[in-house]
Amino acid sequence: MSFFEGHDFFGESTAHLARLINNINTGIWEYNTTTKKAKWSDGFYAILGYHPGEIECSYHNFFENILYYHDKQIFIKATHYAGKGPAPIAQIRLLTKNNGYQWFESSALKHDDDDGQFIYGVLNNINKYKLAEFTAAQADFLSAETSRIARIGGWEIDVTSMALNMSREIYNIYELHGDVKLNVDEAISFFEPAYRPVLTKAIEDAVKYCKPYDLEVLFKTAKNNTIWVRAKGIPIIDDFGKCVTVRGVFQDIDIIKRSGISMQSSINLLDDQNKRLQNFAYIVSHNLRSHAGNLKFMVNLFEETKAENDKEEIFSHIKTISESLSATMGHLDEIVKIQSEISKERKSVSFETIFNNVIATLRANIEASKAQINADFSEVPEISYIPAYLESIFQNLLTNAIKYKHPNREPVINCYTHIHEKHIYLVFEDNGMGIDMKRFGDQLFGMYRTFHQNKDAKGIGLFITRNQVEALGGNIIVDSTVDVGTKFTVRLV
Amino acid sequence: MSVERKMVTACIIDDDDIFIYGFKKFVEIRGVSAEILNFSNGKEAIDYLKNPFYANNLPDIIFVDINMPVMDGWEFTQNFEEIKSHMGKKISVYFISSSVDINDINRAKNNPAIEDYIMKPISETHVEDLINSYQISPGFISMN
Repeated sequence: MSFFEGHDFFGESTAHLARLINNINTGIWEYNTTTKKAKWSDGFYAILGYHPGEIECSYHNFFENILYYHDKQIFIKATHYAGKGPAPIAQIRLLTKNNGYQWFESSALKHDDDDGQFIYGVLNNINKYKLAEFTAAQADFLSAETSRIARIGGWEIDVTSMALNMSREIYNIYELHGDVKLNVDEAISFFEPAYRPVLTKAIEDAVKYCKPYDLEVLFKTAKNNTIWVRAKGIPIIDDFGKCVTVRGVFQDIDIIKRSGISMQSSINLLDDQNKRLQNFAYIVSHNLRSHAGNLKFMVNLFEETKAENDKEEIFSHIKTISESLSATMGHLDEIVKIQSEISKERKSVSFETIFNNVIATLRANIEASKAQINADFSEVPEISYIPAYLESIFQNLLTNAIKYKHPNREPVINCYTHIHEKHIYLVFEDNGMGIDMKRFGDQLFGMYRTFHQNKDAKGIGLFITRNQVEALGGNIIVDSTVDVGTKFTVRLV
Repeated sequence: MSVERKMVTACIIDDDDIFIYGFKKFVEIRGVSAEILNFSNGKEAIDYLKNPFYANNLPDIIFVDINMPVMDGWEFTQNFEEIKSHMGKKISVYFISSSVDINDINRAKNNPAIEDYIMKPISETHVEDLINSYQISPGFISMN
């Protein structure tokens, strides 16, 4: 039962109704389209900030001076609505006396009767709500933009139904566009295979044991781009401490992660270099100290002894120490040279040419050992390298193979180049005495490290070779079996 | 008072020929009554100690270097510990090295099998006194 039907509203209570109309905080108007006469309620003036009658009550005044010009079309369209059902509500801006333009909601009703054609309308101030709406929209926009710029999105799993809800940005990171909705398993299937069980377990643990997780994992997008992502999830619990929702973020951290990885590899490289330098400094000081110690020892003896032939003998040792000191200084120079030559230009050099040069200088050694050397550089005949380094690498590895030949057989040395995945390798294989890699493997390239009782062993060759190779970004791998032989695989570039 | 003296046998294990020469020479010049055995690495020394043929000529004291090819000072100590109980006498092991690496020094000091760590260049007087301390028979010391 409606208010109007229940009471004889139009008959007896017109005054009451008029009072009501004038006192509510709403503007009510009436417009006779035939006579072009308008009527405004007191509330109409009030909501615009005027006293009744303070401004001219006319359609013209309203339309031209109060209604914001931009909203005229909307107002007309809603006011002259001819369709079925109630007329649509228009949101328009009206100029108030003291507060500039404010938002109002306008609804209107057409009514024809004997006196002509009327339009009745109601205006309500909705400025507060409209501004809140704008603020909310702005916040939404800002948050969407933030998500987009940070490449981060939010998601939620409802534990009861295990339904997954992911924000727009997550779908963007997935590179899935259009109307798709993934379930938990489908969402996990985009992660790289190795990480799928990790994710599954993390979610399970969050649900079962309320354990949060924060993972950096590899992910493959719908367009097959492999990227690093951060997947973080936290359980939301109910009053009984049971996980009801798992909520989290999903972020594309590819750029940060990759630069982090490359930074880590630079750090490792620097770390290695640092360790080598430290080791080098330690070894040089040790070596110099032992020469200096011997020198002091011999000088003391020289002073103490009375016997002339002792003096002579001791002096000959002092001479030997002096020579050893010079040799150590020479090694130092060589090592310092590695660093200074690194800036020299790389040239295209032929393996064959360098090899022949080295063979020529080692001819006496090779002949004396009856070594058979087989060389084959057909797979990679040339390389862009520092010629002096390559020569030194050949020289040290060939000398090494001859020096540590097997006592019971003549040395056979195979030397060849090889290319694999854009890396160029130089391989030396010998049938020499070999070395116990378990015992000495980590010391093989150490300075002044010798492993066999060989009077020619100085422990400097392989140290320098490794430094030269690594200075140009390569590495050396050694396989060796005692009494069988040794294989040096040098990755040059 | 007559002090009962005996000939000390000292063993020096070092790959540095000059140091071995100097060691022998200073013993000779100072007239230390000691017989010197020398080996250029740990393995040679272990082979000697294990050989029953030399059972009557075992050293009283061993000076071993750290950095040597084939078998270094650490490996020697380890191998020596294994055969020590089969030796007919007590043999003292001293490290003698030019290493100033604090890790080497601490490792040697913390190893009960190593009596002391002597830094090169050696003080001849220190080593002379050390060798001489093995000349006096154990009985004499206990009576003192």
